[in-house]
Amino acid sequence: MQNNFILQVENITKKFGNLVAVNNVSLNVVQGEIVGLIGPNGAGKTTLFNVISGLFPPERGRVIFKGKDVTRVVPHVICKMGMSRTFQVTRAFASMSVEDAIRVGAYNRHTNKETLEIVNEVIQFCDLGKLRRRKCADLGLAALRRVELARALATEPDLLLLDEAGAGLNPSELGNLMDILKEVNREKGITLFVVEHVMQMVMGLCQRIFVLDAGELIATGAPEEISQNPRVIEAYLGKRAIR
Amino acid sequence: MDAVIQLLVNGALMGCIYALITLGLSLIFGVMNIVNFAHGDLVMISMYMAFWMGSYMGLDASLTPLITFPMLFLLGIGIYYALIDRTLRQKYVTQIAVTVGLMTFLRAVAQLAWKAQPRSLPYSLISGNFQIGSATIMTSRLISALVSVLVIVLVALFLSRTWPGRAIRAVSDDLDASSLVGVNQKATYALAFGLGSALTAIAGGMLMTFQQVDPTMGLRFGLLSWCVLALTGLGSISGLLISGIIVGCAEALAMGFWDPRARLLVVYLIFILVLWLRPRGVFGRK
Ligand SMILES: Nc1ncnc2c1ncn2[C@@H]1O[C@H](COP(=O)(O)OP(=O)(O)OP(=O)(O)O)[C@@H](O)[C@H]1O
Ligand SMILES: [Mg+2]
Repeated sequence: MQNNFILQVENITKKFGNLVAVNNVSLNVVQGEIVGLIGPNGAGKTTLFNVISGLFPPERGRVIFKGKDVTRVVPHVICKMGMSRTFQVTRAFASMSVEDAIRVGAYNRHTNKETLEIVNEVIQFCDLGKLRRRKCADLGLAALRRVELARALATEPDLLLLDEAGAGLNPSELGNLMDILKEVNREKGITLFVVEHVMQMVMGLCQRIFVLDAGELIATGAPEEISQNPRVIEAYLGKRAIR
Repeated sequence: MDAVIQLLVNGALMGCIYALITLGLSLIFGVMNIVNFAHGDLVMISMYMAFWMGSYMGLDASLTPLITFPMLFLLGIGIYYALIDRTLRQKYVTQIAVTVGLMTFLRAVAQLAWKAQPRSLPYSLISGNFQIGSATIMTSRLISALVSVLVIVLVALFLSRTWPGRAIRAVSDDLDASSLVGVNQKATYALAFGLGSALTAIAGGMLMTFQQVDPTMGLRFGLLSWCVLALTGLGSISGLLISGIIVGCAEALAMGFWDPRARLLVVYLIFILVLWLRPRGVFGRK
């Protein structure tokens, strides 16, 4: 790699029938940073994540991960290359125990024997010790979000996409999650790309923010710049707020 | 009364084999949501293979799974890549058409290769019978039932304790989420289809120790396994055994007290009744 971009999104367009969910979006993520992606409901944030992680092939554009074109690569290969993610609507493995669900992630890089060690470490890291033998279907939202995070961490990614990891959490759970995420970034050196509605979390966590509105990228910048950008305020509050 | 007990004993022993056949079907259905109409015909093919190895190679039917298990496993993987993989994203009718087509094909092959008359092997290593109370127990049926239960337990352990087993469970819980944490969807589906098919080899071999085979037999095993699966629901191993035994006993009672030709009718009635009253099964999850 000549540059230090871990992820390059180039002119991505994704349509659902006539609806252009993501329209010609380009952005770069630098190795080691925490970047945010915000935007009103239906802006196309989740869709962009689905394109990046290989679930939806885009109509146009390229996704470059670690210098390699992964636009039409299947998700599990992208994961092997070092990218994993969590979901907005939690998707832990309902019929499996917390421990087993995380172990599935650990197999991404390790043989059966080694996985137990990884699982133990990740479980401790995400504070899931008391829940390790519980079934995922029986857990509450905050715990499920941590299971998803743990499962993704167990794959030992270099880039982690988090889709609204803070949604539905109370302030203390949110504080916990932010601490964990900062540690993930600082100690494991994992680049974080987060979609977030909770402004407190975006502002407190991200070094750079992209703003998406109706499928288009309308602003990029540091949190302070973004919060004062008229186009962003317009997108969030409607045109009347500007006049 | 003695007659009832005798029928129940036979039915329960058969039921264990039905449970084993259904385990294969359940694995395939649970993982990739495919209705494999050819499953019963794989049992029939396995029985013919056991017959063939018994009559031309002198191998005892109960030992044929040692050879037919890997063969059916490979056949299953071949079927997956050649047929099933392409239909996964198609409409439901297409999937049904493909597996019904496979069923017809297997049946036609069996009819060509072995003609329509029933075949059976003259003897087996496990033969004879013994008495418990008033009931006579055929050793071959008893051993077949025990082998079935053992294999079911082994598969359950495989699913819960091993890497491929966990991958199979993860993929059946959530395909997208599992592929995003590194699980290879195609390989896992192929493995599930191969294993599901291979289990019919064990059932087929054991059945040949005391039964004859004919080319239309697939229909019976197909219907039986659908009935047991409907009764069980998905995800319960103990429920699978109980359902198998219930269906086996119902079938035996119908044959004993009504008419041997009524056996499938009773199975079909249970099937319809369960779908009507408990569409998600009695023992399963969700
Ligand atoms: N699988 C799909 N099929 C059809 N339309 C879809 C699909 N997924 C998303 N859309 C549409 O694409 C647009 C963008 O949706 P997306 O989920 O990406 O928005 P989002 O920014 O994540 O919103 P939110 O903040 O509500 O999560 C929406 O209009 C949505 O209805
Ligand atoms: Mg979203």
